[in-house]
Amino acid sequence: MNQDRLSHFHGGLVLRHHKKASCEKPMLPAGLPEQLVIAIKSSRGHTSEPVVAIGDHVFKGQVIAEPEDSLGTVYHAPTSGLVVAIEERQTASAEAKQAVCVVIEPDGEDTWLTRPEKLKLPASAQEIIAQISAAGIVGMGGAGFPTHIKYHATQTDTAPTLIINGAECEPYISCDERLMLDEPEAIVRGTVWLLKAAQANRAIIAIEDNIGGVKKQLDAAIKKLELVAQGFDLSVIKVPTIYPTGGEKQLIKVLTGIEVPSGLTPLSVGLIMQNVATAKAVYDAIELRKPLISRVITVTGDAIESPRNYEALIGTPFQHLLQLAACDFQDLDKLIIGGPMMGYAMPHADIGIEKTTNCLLALPADCTKPEIDAMPCIRCGDCVKVCPQELLPQQLLWYINGNDEHNDLEKAREHHVFDCIECGACSWVCPSHINLVDFYRFAKSELTYLDHKKAKAQQAKIRHDEREARLERIKAERQAKRRRKTAKLSNKKDAKAEMSAVLARIKQQEQAKVDDEG
Amino acid sequence: MSSTDVNRLNTASAPHIPARISVQRVMMWVCLTLLPATLAHVYYFGLGILLQMILAIGSAYLFEWWCLKWRQQPMQPFITDLSALVTAWLFVLCISPIAPWYVAVVGMFFSIVVAKHLFGGIGHNIFNPAMVGFCVILIAFPQSMSLWLPPVGLLEAMDSIKTLSLLEIIDWVFTGRPNEHIDAVTAATPLAAVQTGLQQGYSLSEMTALPIFGDFGGMGWEWIANWLFIGGAILLYKRIITWHVPAAVLMTTIAASTPFYLFNGDVFLSPQQHIFSGGIMLAAFFIATDPTSGCSSFRGKIIFGAGVAILTVLIRNFGAFPDGVAFAVLLMNMSVPLIDRLTIPNPYGKKSKVNEHV
Repeated sequence: MNQDRLSHFHGGLVLRHHKKASCEKPMLPAGLPEQLVIAIKSSRGHTSEPVVAIGDHVFKGQVIAEPEDSLGTVYHAPTSGLVVAIEERQTASAEAKQAVCVVIEPDGEDTWLTRPEKLKLPASAQEIIAQISAAGIVGMGGAGFPTHIKYHATQTDTAPTLIINGAECEPYISCDERLMLDEPEAIVRGTVWLLKAAQANRAIIAIEDNIGGVKKQLDAAIKKLELVAQGFDLSVIKVPTIYPTGGEKQLIKVLTGIEVPSGLTPLSVGLIMQNVATAKAVYDAIELRKPLISRVITVTGDAIESPRNYEALIGTPFQHLLQLAACDFQDLDKLIIGGPMMGYAMPHADIGIEKTTNCLLALPADCTKPEIDAMPCIRCGDCVKVCPQELLPQQLLWYINGNDEHNDLEKAREHHVFDCIECGACSWVCPSHINLVDFYRFAKSELTYLDHKKAKAQQAKIRHDEREARLERIKAERQAKRRRKTAKLSNKKDAKAEMSAVLARIKQQEQAKVDDEG
Repeated sequence: MSSTDVNRLNTASAPHIPARISVQRVMMWVCLTLLPATLAHVYYFGLGILLQMILAIGSAYLFEWWCLKWRQQPMQPFITDLSALVTAWLFVLCISPIAPWYVAVVGMFFSIVVAKHLFGGIGHNIFNPAMVGFCVILIAFPQSMSLWLPPVGLLEAMDSIKTLSLLEIIDWVFTGRPNEHIDAVTAATPLAAVQTGLQQGYSLSEMTALPIFGDFGGMGWEWIANWLFIGGAILLYKRIITWHVPAAVLMTTIAASTPFYLFNGDVFLSPQQHIFSGGIMLAAFFIATDPTSGCSSFRGKIIFGAGVAILTVLIRNFGAFPDGVAFAVLLMNMSVPLIDRLTIPNPYGKKSKVNEHV
């Protein structure tokens, strides 16, 4: 893994960056909005439970929600104020899905929860992991997977290599680049804490080759901290700016030449990947005792007059940020969280940002209008050329779209639909303007549902078969018993004895009846 | 917008900024890159091809319009996608410039109505529409297809009287009235000349010394092939096609024809003549590269191209027709589902071995 021995992933796109406008100015604090709307759902449907009630006063940094299971996340109040609502609201996720939100009205004091005076740095890996978990840190590059989980598994294995992902490959988004320019030392220190958590000593910070200034900053920070003397091996590697080079699998391929086996995590090949913002959050949590209550977010797009990066509290409504950056609301057609390739368009601006929301992209109608409506696929194969996962997008579409005679989504599975990373490169190059990724998302959720149904049906069948077998067995046992008895009664003497016994029993019962009535 | 303006915004899914690319643009590039070869055709064989183009494109669009109406498809996006233009153009490059008018009409009927719309319209055709039309007329009107004009250089060599005027061509195409000029100036294509020559007991070396065989393929033909090659190179450069099919077709043509030629050069054409005469260059860059009726994976494309080349060489060497490109393409079109099934590429993370050089 060094600068001279980089690999390539298949396909990819060279896109216009559109990053300069938002990245040239230093980041600003976004300040206190009127309300904070904090969605307390975690990744992949794991929920957290609110531990405050409506009307409660909370301090900055106070826990407001606890995880329900090991894959959930802790949430903290981003500022001091009053809990005014705990209810289902639309959130910054695909289709603005509803989830439980804690709504806090700031009191303007921004009072911290009282914390121990003396800073006690964690000594062991376990302690670091515990602090990361308690600070509610999740992967801030987009997946939102709880960070501490990645390190539990490393305790017994050989030391992994840590990759800090600073390759922000989507156009427009510049929050990681700005963070690396403004806080290089915090990122490097956070990286060292992560290394200690993983009981490893080698980390690579990967950045795109079009942001050379960042490398200088990071190198200077690494040098200043004298990490080599402490036995740490940190290097900054520039990777070619090809979308989606910041994708986990693609970046690993570029840096190491290894392909992460389908269905496994990078740890299976001895790697852990973490976003630069996550490294910074780890630094904040451990050295500043500040849980994850704010993040850097890019507010940009052609409908924004002064694009910029803001450090915003989690739960800050889009509206507040758009006003700060002077958004032209008359012109606004699409409000996107994330970038233009993979982001989700939001229905309105009254949604709070989450720990994973890296960009607000506001676009006017003339940017978003496609030249033509969708046409049938002509199988031109442009999607095959660009697919970084080496799939056959046009064949997948064929099977998912119901063109196949058997309308068989299983064919889509055979064509590896579950390996699609939904980067959108295929949709981007499609001359027929087909929204291919939508089809793959549909196929994945449909297949998952069908698998679930099939598993349930199988379970029901097993239960049914077992019941049938049980009834059969009982029937057979009864028959056997009856047969034994019949065999016994075939002997006259036995039959006679049996008969008199039965008669005696009946008599006894009648006697008992009479006694009862008497 | 105030915060009460709920759900006013556009929530269509990503990509949020569309790329400036369309089917129409792809088709336009195919037409543009066919232009040099078409001009060369006009130079060598006269204005006949332009008349055929008017006939074919006119009838193609008439059939396209009728089919869209009949299938109740939206007219505007499909009639303007230029795919019918490409089909007609490719078809015309295959037929004789002095074919009777009904050849183009019947060919386009089978191309547009049968091969395209009966199978479900653009993107759903199993067979290459232009080749379906061409094969039908090749079988239905063999006489008209063997009647070609001699290339311009050959006329001089033959010390012939003059070339046909446009009026004479129109008269011949529409009425079929024999006139003394037509008989005086028609000639066979090089590949047809080879076939008849071999049947009459001439050896190839005797025949290829004739001027009709030009410098390295066939007089006029070799230059059309060169221009097709240049047009194809532009398509490659514009990334409208990939190298897989053209490379497979051309290299397999050489590889498959060389053993025959070495075995008996008096009976079998040389690799160079295979490449530069007949339809192999057109097939390599413009016909076998048709994505709809071709294979989807890169490996599949190579197998497809190689199949076209092998079948073409076999048909030329042993078949009843002088050229076999069209049949080869249709036969390979049939094999596409099978090839596709056997060449599903292993995606990222599912390769057999994980290369380890960390």
